[in-house]
Amino acid sequence: MLDYALTLAVVTLIYVLLSFALDLQYGFTGMINFGVAGFFGAGAYTSALLTMRAGWPAPLAFAAAMIVCGAIAWPLGKIALRLRDDYLAIVTLGFSEIIRLVLVQEQWLTNGVQGIPGVPRLWPAWTTAHSELFLLGMLCVANVAVVLFLRHLTHSPYGRLIQAIRDDEVAVKALGKNPARFKTQVLVIGGAITGLAGAFFAHYMTYIVPDQFVPLITFYVWMAVIMGGVARLSGSVAGAALLVVFLEGSRFLRGVMPWVSDDAMASVQIGAVGLVLILFMRWRPEGLFGRRGRV
Amino acid sequence: MDRRKFVTLTSAALGLAPWARSSWAQQGVFRIGSLNPITGAGSPYGTGMLKAIQIGSAEVNDAGGAGGVKLEVYAEDSQTSPQAAVLGAKKLIGVNQVQAMLGVWSSGESLAVIPLTNDAGMILMNTAGAPALSAPPVNAKLLSFRFQATNDRFGRAFAQIAKREGFKRPALMAFNNASGIGNTEGFRKAWEAQGGKIVASVVYEPNRPTYRSEVQQVLRANPDVIVTGSYLTDTELLLRAWYETGQQVKWIVPGWAAGPELIKAVGAQVAEGMISVESISDEGAPSYESFVSRFAQQTGMHAQDNVYATMAYDEVILLALALQAVGPNATGAVLAAKIHELGNPGGTEVYRFADGKKLLAAGKKVTYVGASSRLNFDQYNDVTPDFAASFAQSGQFVRKYVVKL
Amino acid sequence: MTFADIVNLTLNGLISGMLVALPALAVSLVYGLARFPNAATGDVVSAGGYAGLFAYTASGSLLAAGAGAAAIGALVGLASYFLAFRAILRRSVITSLLTSIGVGFVIRALLGVMFGHQPRAFDMPITRAVRWHGVMLNPTDGQLVLVTLAVLAVVFTLLYGTSMGRKMRALADDADLARVSGIGVERSMVTMWALTGAVCGIAGMMVGVRTVVSPDAGWETLLPAFAAAVVGGLGNPLGAVVGAILLGVLQEWSTPLVGFVYKIALAYVVMLLVLLIRPQGLFNRVQGVR
Repeated sequence: MLDYALTLAVVTLIYVLLSFALDLQYGFTGMINFGVAGFFGAGAYTSALLTMRAGWPAPLAFAAAMIVCGAIAWPLGKIALRLRDDYLAIVTLGFSEIIRLVLVQEQWLTNGVQGIPGVPRLWPAWTTAHSELFLLGMLCVANVAVVLFLRHLTHSPYGRLIQAIRDDEVAVKALGKNPARFKTQVLVIGGAITGLAGAFFAHYMTYIVPDQFVPLITFYVWMAVIMGGVARLSGSVAGAALLVVFLEGSRFLRGVMPWVSDDAMASVQIGAVGLVLILFMRWRPEGLFGRRGRV
Repeated sequence: MDRRKFVTLTSAALGLAPWARSSWAQQGVFRIGSLNPITGAGSPYGTGMLKAIQIGSAEVNDAGGAGGVKLEVYAEDSQTSPQAAVLGAKKLIGVNQVQAMLGVWSSGESLAVIPLTNDAGMILMNTAGAPALSAPPVNAKLLSFRFQATNDRFGRAFAQIAKREGFKRPALMAFNNASGIGNTEGFRKAWEAQGGKIVASVVYEPNRPTYRSEVQQVLRANPDVIVTGSYLTDTELLLRAWYETGQQVKWIVPGWAAGPELIKAVGAQVAEGMISVESISDEGAPSYESFVSRFAQQTGMHAQDNVYATMAYDEVILLALALQAVGPNATGAVLAAKIHELGNPGGTEVYRFADGKKLLAAGKKVTYVGASSRLNFDQYNDVTPDFAASFAQSGQFVRKYVVKL
Repeated sequence: MTFADIVNLTLNGLISGMLVALPALAVSLVYGLARFPNAATGDVVSAGGYAGLFAYTASGSLLAAGAGAAAIGALVGLASYFLAFRAILRRSVITSLLTSIGVGFVIRALLGVMFGHQPRAFDMPITRAVRWHGVMLNPTDGQLVLVTLAVLAVVFTLLYGTSMGRKMRALADDADLARVSGIGVERSMVTMWALTGAVCGIAGMMVGVRTVVSPDAGWETLLPAFAAAVVGGLGNPLGAVVGAILLGVLQEWSTPLVGFVYKIALAYVVMLLVLLIRPQGLFNRVQGVR
């Protein structure tokens, strides 16, 4: 039971990191980024490959994952700047898929669809239980660090500026500031945080394959951000927790609905997640912690 | 209702559920975790695999249980995703406290789950194809049993059949996943080792509405046979794209794709002459016949269309026989050694659990002849079955001959 | 690569483009009036597949299958409007988009519960293509093209030839102005959702005929449909169709150069390039940025 709880905690904290990144980009700066999964995968592969093929120590590999993902975000930023919201969603979705297809095709690097088994735990010499606990601890540290960083950022003049960009970009331009620069920066910062989450994911699962980094993951992170409440860091935490509760909790529906056959159960689970999403958007679109009237 | 109440209620409801379940866990029970791909890429097979495990468990329980305990099956959907499989496995192990993990389908899921089962010292039974699952360090503890021939072996069987049929210019078409590519690369290795050449090779992406360009590219090289590593849906599309061209080519397709369902989908004329290759047990093995009829009865599906379901059934029966032999409190390692022994020749051959149970109770040595194939586990706990070449003739697959590697 | 090969590639691209054209059209129509990309499009396509399959098995006629698929698709579209979208349409894009994701999940779950996950196929014979100097012309493709063109003809006649269509276009163009002019929003909305549902339903039948019918069958058309609609200009129905065909053909042409995996990425790359040059899409006029 404890082991399962630990897994849930790790998954939740990874989703929290992803939600932080997305909330920075959407909640605070108003950019509809549907490319989360691609950066997540890029971060996971970067860290896995550096530790396994190049023998880098984990902390360096994690840092590299952040840098690589930030770097990938930069051209996306340049492209995205000229686009309206609705287009941005689809463009970033396409970008995410391009990253995934590169992971599939460049087998010499990524082992393609076979995936990479045996990604080392932190640390290989320890028992699995200890490694997982350590990873959980490091994940907590990372989350706290990111929270502190983002709080500082969003409460600073920089934070006010990006929120102003979200609310009225034209006005910001009129004041003589160039929104483009800030939007790109936010995409890069968010990308780096997403990459960090990917690195944690790789070293926890110990097996990564391109098929795991699909748009569905991006949808889940969006659910977390929206359900938690945008532009509120506490909202991101609540949203991620809520997401994991729904995704995993739907397993336990079987106990509540024993008359449903096992194979139908899988469909019931998807349906439950969808229903929750619809209801949330209808009755509480500002999320659990968001402020009313912001939508 | 306000936010606080909502969150509290939800957490309470979800917190209670697992406790409720585990408090019902009784003595005298052996819990099996059935981690199947009900949704996702493996969904054509997952439901059948789960049903097969349930059929097998029912057979064991009806015969009075194994080693004094009844089997209880706990099912989770792996969504054919390594990540979801890990979560499902963790839940099965941590919450349902299963003692063995069965029915894992794909290489990705198996590779993701095997560290967990190894850590828990429990048996893992899967139908994955990837070579990575055999060698150390992944299966160093030998707790994992593979009930499907490795892709390598399939490839070699394909190569033997192609040679025997006199083909000289084979082309390869592989579904872009570990299993598909594993099959065709296995063929390539074996074919080139006997001095042959592959005239064309294409890897195609999953879930496309048509593979016309892919097939046309292969056909441009004028092969006399196309060897595939494919699944049902895409094989159907490949055949369609090929048939439209009118070019003369034969097909060698894995048995899990080429079955009655495929013939139904493309029609007898298109399928005529196609060679289906799959691992087999003895002709008319009683275990197979009896399983097929029970499976059809309970699910309305043909077991011939779902070889993995038959393998899943074998997983349960073999596990139960081992439990009967060493008792339910044996460690994973002891159980694994027994499973290995029971799958290999040397004992009296049995086809049903009840017969095996009787013999084991009398202290005799037993060999379980699986419904899916003669198991004959090798040193990595991979099955080393014989293969059958079946030819589609007038809308039916007819078994012509057997290939031994 | 002979000339015939290139022609074949082009034809292949046309066909795969046609399969995406109808869902892309649906995406653009919904975007035009409801102002969000509808992520449930793919799942309505899946539902259409089942409807078409049952209608075909019951009647043996493809025409009946198409009618059945269109009818069920329209019903699903209307249901999604009345039960989910209507209440939230005035809200932000992201609310609507996430709702549509939820709606898609629910449709997929219902299909899975009702019909199971085993893929099913239409019981139709496969025909040989006609070879003409190495170029392959397939009768089934011909049917596909005809059906698509017929549907497109109906849709465009509706949009450009009826008063309802005119109202819908006015709403799409400038919702506030249209409302002030007294154009009934509700009726246009209802018509649009029924129409896009029907279009998706027929697309689902075609996908089912060419591949299989399963709860996940339509999902695969979603991303290509989005890409096509964006390339053509979101909200522009003609643009969506042209975008779909254009992307289909470009993808097939690229195959000898980039291979079958990157061919898929090409759609997204082309989308990015088009937007870099013309951020509003190929066929849209420049509209005021938000």
